[in-house]
Amino acid sequence: MSQDGDASEKSALPTALAAHEDARELVRLLQCTQCSRPFRNPVTLPCGNSICKECLPEAHQREHISYPDLPGRRQGFQCPFEDCGAEHPASDCNIDVTLAKIMESITEVVAKHRSVLESMPELLEEQVMWDEVMSSQPSSEKPQVHQSVGGRLIATYTLAAQGVLNHSTDVTFADAAEQEKAIDIAVLQEVLETTQREVDCQVCYNLMLDPVTTFCGHTLCRKCLARVLDHSLHCPVCRRGLAIPPSLLRQPSNKTLVNLLNGLCPDVVAARAEAVEQEERGSEGNANVSLFVCTLGFPNQPTFLRIFEPRYRLMLRRCLEGSRQFGMLMYNRYGEPQGDLGHVHFYQYGTMLQIVHAQMLADGTSLIETRGLYRFRVKSHAVLDGYSVGDVERIDDVNLAEEERIEAEETSLPPPTEEGDITGQINRMSTQELLALGQEFIVRMRGRSANWLQQRVLDIHGQPSEDAALFPYWFASVLPISEEEKYKLLGTRTVRERLKITATWIRRIETQRW
Amino acid sequence: MSAPLPKRIIKETERLQSEPVPGISAQPHDDNARYFDVIVEGPGGSCYEGGVFQLELFLPDDYPMCPPRIRFLTRIYHPNIDRLGRICLDVLKNNWSPALQIRTILLSIQALLGAPNPEDPLNEAVAKQWKENQPEAIKTAREWTELYAKKK
Repeated sequence: MSQDGDASEKSALPTALAAHEDARELVRLLQCTQCSRPFRNPVTLPCGNSICKECLPEAHQREHISYPDLPGRRQGFQCPFEDCGAEHPASDCNIDVTLAKIMESITEVVAKHRSVLESMPELLEEQVMWDEVMSSQPSSEKPQVHQSVGGRLIATYTLAAQGVLNHSTDVTFADAAEQEKAIDIAVLQEVLETTQREVDCQVCYNLMLDPVTTFCGHTLCRKCLARVLDHSLHCPVCRRGLAIPPSLLRQPSNKTLVNLLNGLCPDVVAARAEAVEQEERGSEGNANVSLFVCTLGFPNQPTFLRIFEPRYRLMLRRCLEGSRQFGMLMYNRYGEPQGDLGHVHFYQYGTMLQIVHAQMLADGTSLIETRGLYRFRVKSHAVLDGYSVGDVERIDDVNLAEEERIEAEETSLPPPTEEGDITGQINRMSTQELLALGQEFIVRMRGRSANWLQQRVLDIHGQPSEDAALFPYWFASVLPISEEEKYKLLGTRTVRERLKITATWIRRIETQRW
Repeated sequence: MSAPLPKRIIKETERLQSEPVPGISAQPHDDNARYFDVIVEGPGGSCYEGGVFQLELFLPDDYPMCPPRIRFLTRIYHPNIDRLGRICLDVLKNNWSPALQIRTILLSIQALLGAPNPEDPLNEAVAKQWKENQPEAIKTAREWTELYAKKK
């Protein structure tokens, strides 16, 4: 056993602590830094550090506060932890229910083993029964020799419980017998078994991942707590109001639990993190794009959204942690069939949006500014935690040679026979003429001060794009016509096709057929 | 195509089988693990005693963030249960919490059978009868239990 092992470093290592060899580190995980005893009535502070309730500094009257003047917030104390030092309101420091239950289980296991080892001495060799533990003080004080009962774990824990083992002190153990090692392994195994249910999150029923403890003392996975807060601002366990910012960004993890889990079962923690990542990616094959069924978005154009539904808050949070992208689909309000997908509640073509800015408001809703990246088609879709996810294929224009071929073919057709054949006329216009038609229309409408071309609209969407490929997207973003009509742009494969659609809109407006 | 079943639902289902609650059972459908056939026995000493009530329970996509959807299939004369079997119970609505589970919800429903609350009615007619002539209401509830909720 090394004497210079640093507890915090050691517990962060990815390998599990061993029952026998790392007995000192294991016990240290449970020791209060203030009194050095195993936690009694542990309280986890808003800074994520844990402390015995009895070790909390004396509360004083907090001054210069008037909001929110809730019961208990007027009393506070200076945090005794060096890495914090802040003033915590007394009402925010309640018994950490999870840690308290863990300590309860451990105390029972230790008591049980102690009594067994004491009452059946004849079954065991004396050197196994009586373990010599020497505490090596970092100071020049003379090292003390202690004797205790039953294996390194129980012996060290007992010393801590007696208050004679300082939190920062290391120990060396007398040479161990094999039976002693077996006892340590058995004790740790029993601790793991009895505490297993306590470290399961009450929302996901999995091992707590990045546990966060509420001010009322209840612990959940950080992500589970965030999801709960999407739906309600009350603790799911005790229903007390939770004054936690919905994003949880600044709410520290429960350090004691994190260290315990990393020390005892780093492999399970790692597997759990991996599984969560997998779930969020959408686990079915390539169904890995989050889909927001809401409105129309166009490439290169901004879309502003207010996210308030709980399921989309979750989606947004995941997007912000990952690629910051999601697919925008339009709601299929007339239930039109969508190709291979059949009757689905959205239109199959959509636009991938990139989140440019996200602003979370105090009530947990968010305002986001996005910009369209590219168009896509949904190949398959599934539901993930209430919102849609899908496998999508990007929709791009054909190459330039093909674009030119189509233009040449259409423009060389003989002129239409009927005079009012708008489609026929548009079909024969060159691509440049189609673009010019749009641009001239905009100039004319500005001359008439059309309200859809007001300055504030242009401030958001910019000036009409000079690029023939993008002009239709800009046009559709500002033009007040039906969304279903604008949607036609999303499935196009050529610049020409899009410009023909916009030309048709213009002709119809001009002939007042709308 | 649907996303795989969350671990939570799998564990809840397992525990319902391995640690069953007396007088309550919930069996998931083979082809839809979110849909359960539920049986709740009328609590002893109540006017539903001896009755075996069938319910259907469905876990929506955002369960456990949202409560399970549950209703009686067996007809029952109760002020907080309407003719369609819908149940007026706070924990199935605003007081739902993700820390609750299928087991606790079914226990709440069983408790509701033992303690009808005509002050918060879903079935106005039954509630009225319950308030104005309780012995008669209880008698009707017993008759209905005999009529609809007895194993044939």
